[in-house]
Amino acid sequence: MIDQTALVALIRTALPDAEVEATDLTGTMDHYDIKIRSRAFAGKSLLDQHRLIYGVLEPARQDGRIHAIQLKTEILN
Amino acid sequence: MTAEETIEQEVAENTIIVYGKGTKEQPLCGFTYETIEFFNKYGYPFTVVNALADPEKREALTKMTNWPTLPKVFIKGKFYGDTDILGPMEESGELKTLLDEAFGKKTLSL
Repeated sequence: MIDQTALVALIRTALPDAEVEATDLTGTMDHYDIKIRSRAFAGKSLLDQHRLIYGVLEPARQDGRIHAIQLKTEILN
Repeated sequence: MTAEETIEQEVAENTIIVYGKGTKEQPLCGFTYETIEFFNKYGYPFTVVNALADPEKREALTKMTNWPTLPKVFIKGKFYGDTDILGPMEESGELKTLLDEAFGKKTLSL
């Protein structure tokens, strides 16, 4: 499990400008709905925006802190 | 056949193919279930392959798509991620056009 503060901090290691809204879907701190807005998504396809976030979250997925996420990304203007 | 070749063949033979956890009749994960429900709405045929049953195939899929999670959706040979990608495409109307074209449905508006 990972708490919301740590999750947001993890995302901001890669995207310092990110506006993040993380919702714990199950109360178990390992299933999250994450909405992220960042300038870093500019010029990237939706697939690549999600790949970027999956890359950032990969260590937490590998070690089991995160079990499942649903993701929504948006370019911040 | 290698796992990659099997995947390429399955993707070529199925206009919509979902690599997920479990089967269409018995999905083993909420996201796979959600994806099945998502495509049921459209009424076009789609195939669900249980990637959990074949670890080698699951690994090959991850490498081929550079996408770590299941389910993974391909439409007309192209990778479209999951419902986090397809949802926004649905909202914009892009998905309906893509599916209608993929299945040869033609609408002429004059």
